[in-house]
Amino acid sequence: MAYLDGEIAADRAAEIAQHMQQCAECKALAADFRNLSQELLAWEIEGPPARLTEQVNERAAAVKQTTAKLEVIEETPLRRWFGKIGALKTKPWAWASAGALAMLLLMAGGISTLSRRASAPSAYVASRDGASLSTAMAHGSAQDEVRRQLVNKREEVEAMEQKLAQARVASSLDPSDGQRYTVEIKPGEAQAAGGTLPQSSPGVAPMIARTASLSLVAKDFAAVEAAVKAVVSRHAGYIGELNSTTPPDAAKTFSATLRVPSAQLEPTLAELKQLGRVDQESQSGEEVTKQYVDLAARLKNARATEERLLGVLRNNTGKVKDVLEVENEISRVRGEIEEMEADRRALESRVDFATVQLSVTEEYKASLNGAPLSLGTRLHNSFVAGYHGVVESVIGLLAWLLESGPTLLLWAAILFSLVRWPVRWAWRRVRRAVKPAPKPAAA
Amino acid sequence: MADDAMATDEQLILEFQRGSHDAFTELFQRYRELIYSFFRRRVNHPSRAEELAQETFVAVLRGAQRYEPRGTFRSYLFAIAYKILANDRRKLSQNSEGAGPGLDFPGPSAPGGAAPGRCETGIWVREAVEKLDGNDREVLLLREYEELSYEEIAGVLRVPVNTVRSRLFRARLALKEILAAAPGRSVRKENALESSI
Repeated sequence: MAYLDGEIAADRAAEIAQHMQQCAECKALAADFRNLSQELLAWEIEGPPARLTEQVNERAAAVKQTTAKLEVIEETPLRRWFGKIGALKTKPWAWASAGALAMLLLMAGGISTLSRRASAPSAYVASRDGASLSTAMAHGSAQDEVRRQLVNKREEVEAMEQKLAQARVASSLDPSDGQRYTVEIKPGEAQAAGGTLPQSSPGVAPMIARTASLSLVAKDFAAVEAAVKAVVSRHAGYIGELNSTTPPDAAKTFSATLRVPSAQLEPTLAELKQLGRVDQESQSGEEVTKQYVDLAARLKNARATEERLLGVLRNNTGKVKDVLEVENEISRVRGEIEEMEADRRALESRVDFATVQLSVTEEYKASLNGAPLSLGTRLHNSFVAGYHGVVESVIGLLAWLLESGPTLLLWAAILFSLVRWPVRWAWRRVRRAVKPAPKPAAA
Repeated sequence: MADDAMATDEQLILEFQRGSHDAFTELFQRYRELIYSFFRRRVNHPSRAEELAQETFVAVLRGAQRYEPRGTFRSYLFAIAYKILANDRRKLSQNSEGAGPGLDFPGPSAPGGAAPGRCETGIWVREAVEKLDGNDREVLLLREYEELSYEEIAGVLRVPVNTVRSRLFRARLALKEILAAAPGRSVRKENALESSI
């Protein structure tokens, strides 16, 4: 059949033609089909009316006009742009990309807000002077906090400045005042320094209460305590206070307050330094001569007063009231004398015995098995921390959305409405111009 | 344009795409009878056929920018026509009740034939064709009257080419039987010839 319809390849056609010459059945069928086609042609249809041509021509002309008008209208780049925008709203990719852009803007805004939040507390911590705090004050929501911090810092600064002034005053070595000097000695300089003493009031040998502080790092920590005790007793001193800590995961420490005779101070320190590496060392001497002298003078006065009062009591047998008064005075003076004597004894002790603040740290070897917590505990802790992290982040995101959401929505709505109406108006104008004008009655 | 006469349909449609309305006019001239008779053979009223034919060409006008030369222009055109036909049939079957499968294919008593200036010959052929199965009939009509190739028919009806072949074969065989069985065939033929305008 394809052969009959001319739908067969040339080589096959030749084959079939040959076959049909031989096969009567196929030949008959072919003839039948041919006749059939002929007969079908008997069904004729009249031609289309002229009206069809006219109508189609009309529509063609209208379309032509439309395209021409569209070309005219679209001349203005602005209209063209508006038209394109309006056409975009039908394109799904336009919506998709607009949505993606909006998402990006939201994320960028969110990230910047969150990072501002995160950096603000560290701004408080990092700044030491009021200047950067003042700039941090620009951040609105924590202004009161910042002001408070600023005030605190100012007070601190003022206090420090006061101390500095005092120190300056103190460092001008005025012999007439009670003075105090501190010498920071770096390890190694200790021998060279030697300790120069200032001149005190003439006529009295200077009385210095000496203190030293020494920090060591010892390798052999276990022996340190015994060694210190040995040193101290060797130099006829005694231990005032002793502290020892052995934390599981850190260096062991040993601190003690030693009292050795002042003359023995240097040798003691020298021996102590043998116990390990010197980390820090300092010595200070407080000149207490004036205090001592004052104290001695007052004591003398007080004793004299007491004597006089006792003499009064012995000699004057006056009224009972007077006697009682005098006895009161005597007991008061006695009390003062006792106090002053105690003070004097303390001063003498301080002068006689130097105080050494010793602290020894073990050379810390971190152990491989350092983790105090078991694996299970650590995993549990991590899990809990992770859970907290998730909750915090979700809450944080929600909070941010609630905070920024309304603002973003407001601006999005404003922008959208700003853009939409002009676009619509322009598009409508384009459409209206394009619509074909009503035709006069067709010819 | 003198060279339009030699231009292929495909060239013309492309020219029309580029804005030449003369090209469209030429295409219209080539196909107006064919499209009209396409609808005329398949639709009740000649006026309806006219409308549908007009719609087909308007659709070509509108869709010209979207036209992509995939197959022949002819298959493109008839695909449009067939789609318009199918829509029309669907509308008809929705609107009227008790619609039969051959609703749009009336017998000789259809009022369409009463309009002045409209007539068709070979009514018995129409009757015979009407008796065919719908799908087979369509293939036959497209082959015999619109003279589309198997490929084009396959494209228009959206069926494989082999389906086209088998349907066509079936249709021809069946029609042969029907026509052979129709009584007084030769008489009818003569009458038709006499009454043809």
